[in-house]
Amino acid sequence: MEHIELFFKSIFVDNMVFATFLGMCSYLAVSKKVSTAVGLGAAVIFVLTVTVPLNWLLDQYILREGALVWLGEEFADYDLSFLSFILFIATIATMVQLVEIVVEKFSPSLYNSLGIFLPLIAVNCAILGGSLFMQSRDIETLGLALNYGFSSGIGWFLAILAIAAIREKIRYSNVPAPLRGLGITFIITGLMAIGFMSFGGMLTGGDDAPKADETKTAVQQEENTNTTIEAIDEVVEVSTITE
Amino acid sequence: MGLLSKKDSKLILDPLADNNPITIQVLGICSALAITAQLKASIVMAISVIFVLGIGNVVISLMRNVIPSKIRIIVQLVVVAALVIIVDQILKAYAYTLSKELSVFIGLIITNCIIMGRFEAFALGNGPWRSFLDGIGNALGYGVILIIVGFFRELLGSGTLLGFKVLGDPIEKTGLYAIGYENNGFMLLSPMALIVVGIIIWVQRSKNKALIEEH
Amino acid sequence: MAINTDKNSYTIIFSVIMVLVVGSLLAFIAQGLKPTIKENERIEIQQNILYAMGVNENEEGSREFIAAEKAEKTFAEYIKKQLVIQNGEVTEDENAYLIDIKKEKNLAKDPSYSRRLPLFVGEKDGKTYYVAPIRGKGLWDAIWGYVALNEDMVVQGVFFDHKGETPGLGANIKERFFMDDFTGEKLFDADNNFVGITAAKGNADPKNDNKDDNEVDAIAGATITGDGVSAMLKSDLRLYVPYFQKLKNN
Repeated sequence: MEHIELFFKSIFVDNMVFATFLGMCSYLAVSKKVSTAVGLGAAVIFVLTVTVPLNWLLDQYILREGALVWLGEEFADYDLSFLSFILFIATIATMVQLVEIVVEKFSPSLYNSLGIFLPLIAVNCAILGGSLFMQSRDIETLGLALNYGFSSGIGWFLAILAIAAIREKIRYSNVPAPLRGLGITFIITGLMAIGFMSFGGMLTGGDDAPKADETKTAVQQEENTNTTIEAIDEVVEVSTITE
Repeated sequence: MGLLSKKDSKLILDPLADNNPITIQVLGICSALAITAQLKASIVMAISVIFVLGIGNVVISLMRNVIPSKIRIIVQLVVVAALVIIVDQILKAYAYTLSKELSVFIGLIITNCIIMGRFEAFALGNGPWRSFLDGIGNALGYGVILIIVGFFRELLGSGTLLGFKVLGDPIEKTGLYAIGYENNGFMLLSPMALIVVGIIIWVQRSKNKALIEEH
Repeated sequence: MAINTDKNSYTIIFSVIMVLVVGSLLAFIAQGLKPTIKENERIEIQQNILYAMGVNENEEGSREFIAAEKAEKTFAEYIKKQLVIQNGEVTEDENAYLIDIKKEKNLAKDPSYSRRLPLFVGEKDGKTYYVAPIRGKGLWDAIWGYVALNEDMVVQGVFFDHKGETPGLGANIKERFFMDDFTGEKLFDADNNFVGITAAKGNADPKNDNKDDNEVDAIAGATITGDGVSAMLKSDLRLYVPYFQKLKNN
């Protein structure tokens, strides 16, 4: 159950592109054609699936306060969390270059279609974002971390696939000249993000809510599904400010 | 012409308009969306990026002849992350209140692709002084967009600028609110930042037809 | 000057040197600055606790802590007792404010562990304040705070802080216009059930005149952070209810 919830939550509610706006640069730059978008999307899924669990292990056994206790009691007080940025980035960059070398050696055809995207991925902030979210949201087991990496990747893949398909079609529309290309892509992405906010109603009831409140959360759930647009990220209720 | 030759001043001025990192090069979008709900946050972020990109470009440029090409991405990321972490730790020790204000931006700066993008595209192939100018120029270009977006989002979304209630008080119904004006709360959502940037691109390209894309 | 930067041996040597240099530089700086940073954090906790009970240098519209140099002395002056509640037993501990709530919450995931709950009893102008720490999750990362209560668990003042909420939106939980609204709010509803305080959208009471509705006005554009604040108030302050009931019965 936990896995299923996390899976759908990471794909739709916490979609990397539409909810947290991570990985925007490559999303906008490499979405002109569906085929290239699929290539980059697949690469992102792969790298996220590998790096998030790896960084989970790093975080659990090296970085967080008290993590070094397996080395002996005297290490219990070390807190290396200030190194997390640099270690996470190193893992990601290493993985990306490792993948590049391996793919180049064993499958030149895959390398040709994927190869040029791999260096791009190292600078894709969705990848580092995945690891940092994993850390700050206290994902508890290695299995969940794997799930989280994989499903966030799928979310990103879906997003870039959708925008690439739209961009291929919009080529035949009569867009005002100055808006063509980047401009209209920005605006469409904005509209898509607003649309994605409606997935916020999918998951309700806090994780931290104690058991006694279950009936209450059920009621809340009903209320929430009734609200038409419940934002995922940061909702504004105009009436509160202007009342 | 004084301190900067013509070529050098071009390095600073180009990214401000015709080669803007956000609207033309598509770099640094994520952070531009995240923090522009308030003008103040936009300004702070712009200053931090000017600082990090200026210094980072110089460091990478100095190292450009010794960085092994196979692992250059790792080296670049490590350099920028180390720089930012060191600054963060020093601030935490000696300027604690300031570091509290800035801590939110640390992660955003490291993951900002404008930094990697300029390392890769410029600093790896140019000398330190020119790299420094390029870093400052691009960071300024980035900052300009950030401040424009922040200005509109804060003004239309909350009716304030830098926290001052320039349009009157929405609760007490003074100023513009007295004649029925209402804040557009939608402007505070991050998708609206995308749309504002889209409009900026529109305006910019209408003025300079050379930038228009052929599909 | 031409070094062959493509050779494998060079790549390996370079990365080893880089790791050593960067690693030791960071470790050196982190270790060297650690005592100063820890001290800063300790002072900050004292400032936060004092802020919640109204000992601060607020001016019209601005949020100012008591000055860092004075924090230690003022803390000793205002905070009369520091208690630790564990398993219903109350002990005094003059370093209770250093208890790491995050660590306690992690330990408490093991059901056999009973959490240590710090509570700071302060006195100002003849009134007694009970300040409790709370901690929870916002949109991006951790949020935490201190809540000053009176004997009836009516909020007398709060302080919230966060690690990385969106500047201009969620980050506003530490601004006066949000925190001040909590003063006077009750944690119990009319039937005396513990309900906490909810940061509510569109509650038709933006000036927060109604102190009995268990609601404050939410920050526009920061739903998740606001929900996080409501959740941590509810889950963490609930644990203190038995103590206050005992206090009342005595």
